[in-house]
Amino acid sequence: MTTETAKGDAGARTAGPRALARQRRRQSVVRFWKQYRTHRAGLAGLIALALFALLALTAPLTFGSDVAGVTGAPGQPMESPSAEFPLGTDRFGRDLLGLLVWGSRVSLLVGLLAAALSVAIGTTVGITAGHFKGAYATVLMRITDWFLVMPTLVLAIALATVLPRSLGTVVLAIGVTSWPTTARLVRAQTLAVESRPYIERAKALGGGHWHVMSRHVLPNVMPLVLAQTTLMISSSILAEATLAFLGVSDPNVVSWGGLLQDAREAGAVSSGNWWYLVPPGIAIAVVALAFTLCGRAVESVLNPRLGVGR
Amino acid sequence: MSTQKQHSRARRLLAAGAAVLTLSAGLAPQQAVAADGDKVLTVAVAQSVDSLSPFLAARLLSTSIHRLMYEYLTNYDPGDARAVPALATEWKSSPDKLTWTYTIRSDSKWSDGQQATAEDAAWTFNKMMTDEAAATANGSFVANFRKVTAPSPTELVIELKKPQATMTALDVPIVPKHVWEKVGDFSKFNNDKDFPVVGNGPFVLTDYKPDSYVRLKANKDFWRGAPKFDELVFRYYKDQDAAVAALRKGEVSFVAGAPALTPAQAASLKGEKNIHVNDAPGRRFYALAVNPGAKARNGQKIGDGHPSLLDQRVRHALFTAVDRKTIIDKVFQGYAVQGEGYIPPRFSSYFWKPADGQELAYDPAKAGQLLDQAGYKKNGDGKRVGKDGKPINYRILCHATDSNDKAIGQYLQEWWGELGIGVTLNCLDNVSDPWLAGTYDLAFDGWSVNPDPDFVLSIHTCGALPATPKDTGATDNFICDKRYDDLYAKQLAEYDPAKRADIVKQMESRLYDLGYMNVMAYPNAVEAYRTDQIKSITTMPAKAGNIYGQDGYWSWWSATPADSDGSSDDSGSTGVVIGVVAGAAVLVGAGVFFALRRRATAEDRE
Repeated sequence: MTTETAKGDAGARTAGPRALARQRRRQSVVRFWKQYRTHRAGLAGLIALALFALLALTAPLTFGSDVAGVTGAPGQPMESPSAEFPLGTDRFGRDLLGLLVWGSRVSLLVGLLAAALSVAIGTTVGITAGHFKGAYATVLMRITDWFLVMPTLVLAIALATVLPRSLGTVVLAIGVTSWPTTARLVRAQTLAVESRPYIERAKALGGGHWHVMSRHVLPNVMPLVLAQTTLMISSSILAEATLAFLGVSDPNVVSWGGLLQDAREAGAVSSGNWWYLVPPGIAIAVVALAFTLCGRAVESVLNPRLGVGR
Repeated sequence: MSTQKQHSRARRLLAAGAAVLTLSAGLAPQQAVAADGDKVLTVAVAQSVDSLSPFLAARLLSTSIHRLMYEYLTNYDPGDARAVPALATEWKSSPDKLTWTYTIRSDSKWSDGQQATAEDAAWTFNKMMTDEAAATANGSFVANFRKVTAPSPTELVIELKKPQATMTALDVPIVPKHVWEKVGDFSKFNNDKDFPVVGNGPFVLTDYKPDSYVRLKANKDFWRGAPKFDELVFRYYKDQDAAVAALRKGEVSFVAGAPALTPAQAASLKGEKNIHVNDAPGRRFYALAVNPGAKARNGQKIGDGHPSLLDQRVRHALFTAVDRKTIIDKVFQGYAVQGEGYIPPRFSSYFWKPADGQELAYDPAKAGQLLDQAGYKKNGDGKRVGKDGKPINYRILCHATDSNDKAIGQYLQEWWGELGIGVTLNCLDNVSDPWLAGTYDLAFDGWSVNPDPDFVLSIHTCGALPATPKDTGATDNFICDKRYDDLYAKQLAEYDPAKRADIVKQMESRLYDLGYMNVMAYPNAVEAYRTDQIKSITTMPAKAGNIYGQDGYWSWWSATPADSDGSSDDSGSTGVVIGVVAGAAVLVGAGVFFALRRRATAEDRE
């Protein structure tokens, strides 16, 4: 597939190149899907994700946006599950099922954005470090190592405490602390790709740094990056929940970690109000698991040789 | 004295995980008996000690411990809080009200064997009058003293500059002169190096580890009679859930809430065998303080409070839009009383409530009108605009460790959002820094009130302001009002209790109208103890009173241990069984899963 992209690129000046490229891409997508289908766990993860995405996107229709309002809370505080409130109510008397569904929006959004940010940083650092080598790469890799050995959670808490409390802060805090793994992976792959003869050929034909990095290296590390992103999302969702639980997130935003934090503050842990604790916990676990399953499947389809182990 | 701000309570985050674990693994309750057969009373507290020096300590826990370590001149009766003999057996004032003579008891000995005398008391007061560092905690009591002498070991004479109404409520621990005169710098000495610490209270401090525990041994020679428990331990729990779990397991005998058990915890503990939940009217008020354009005594401005809050109509509008009933019903779930005046109804002689026309009752429409009158009109987006043309957005300082602050903050956001006013909740672990710097607009505030209200009244006088912006004053939130100050001086000089109470009520009325301190609730003291470890304990007041944070040492001094019959609770072992079964199920499930996985990937493996 990688060589196809390169060839399609080179053959752009021959007759009907775009149609040809489109066809090839379609073929590779179909082939990808055929192989992905064979991974049962990956399929299960995909289905779970689709369900959660649907829930999150339709939240304004299924539960009105006033579900998070405390003044108009419909129930009594801390009601146990009933027909009216399938998951009971929280400390304000709000419907926990509604909060859980609304919380999925924040958890998924932050997870996706933070993973995207983290992978973007990691890919940039990895490709440039692999491409330029020398002193630049050494410095960059030492910085990467430094971030790698820093306790991620502590760093993220420190960042989130210093910056104003908002969702953007949480995204930033997770993103800038979790990129080193990606950077290392991408750099290794970049080194492997750059040692191939066609890169030398491209250079001989006058391809500059930018051309080599964006046209030859990036498409070749893309599968790795994709798989890494999917895996990173699950850890970002966990990190978001952790930060919210520790109370460094925006307290006004309903998220799964925030619900757990509310439950703890209301004393639900010691008083056995399980309906306040268990659903958000399970939701976090299921979504993180689903993303991991998908990531593993994508990894093994796209990169049979690299895919194992991490 | 034992009044204190619920400011810096350390985080209690990490212990949460431990709480979850302990919840699932119920173990048989342990008996409150140490290995050597001593009866130990363990109290779970949510506050750490700031200092064990009685000259520096301000937190409720520390001052409660000082009550146990040292005798004061007088104590409060557990029944009706009137002054009763302690180190002083009797007292009288001269006809001109300026000279007070105390008779010091001769049957009180320091724990190192020396006699406690009037000389110790005189030295303590003189030290506070001459050394500014020694006046840090209780300086307000001696500010009006002219001269303190001890003509004989049993007679203490205090001469005043002006009459002072708090002379039978001097909450000052009397320390042994022969130990304390060796102390150099009082601002640095924390009294936590040499154990046991010499004292003459019902308990003697024997051990202390910061942020961990404080251990006290019963003083067998205490003049009022030895305490029934042999040892008293205050153990610090960062997480209230962990403290409640420890109570369930019997690791601690008593849980003092932080500041109270949550409604959910209280409800679940009420159904528990061998646990008694004590729900008593509290001595705290819980208020919303407004930054009154903070200034130092020299007139220099401190911080950056929002200018619109200087308008009384705006302050009234904000509080008129606060539905106190909802706060009681939803946030406190009935474990509090709706706020009225400054002093809680528990102190009935000083309790004041606003008259019908004066009360800022919940009325959002009126709040909007008030804001319109004050000139803060809504713009096109429905936001009220300040005089600088920008939409108004208030910063509310809240304690990150207090869930009530956050919960009420969310209500405020919605109530004031309706008015067109933005709210930013600034929840911090340490609110003291922005508070002292005046960089807030509103703040959640709360104080415990003593039977004698002098202290909580004094923190709103101009004299309590910091001298310069660089200093720290005793002030609560920078209020300075001439009329209030005049009334304060008047009540302090009034010896007739009824007349004094009347002046105090006028002060409360003035404070209410000013709108800088808006009392939302008087939270109950919700605490719990194990009846299989503590047989009986004195509450204060005797009827429907609290146990932790009393104005005297009555609760811990009077606590009687339950007979230890050694029988353990059945529910504990049931918990163990459930835990074991659940664990086994998880293990079996994991085994099956891996077996299946191995089979599924068998052909891939080499």
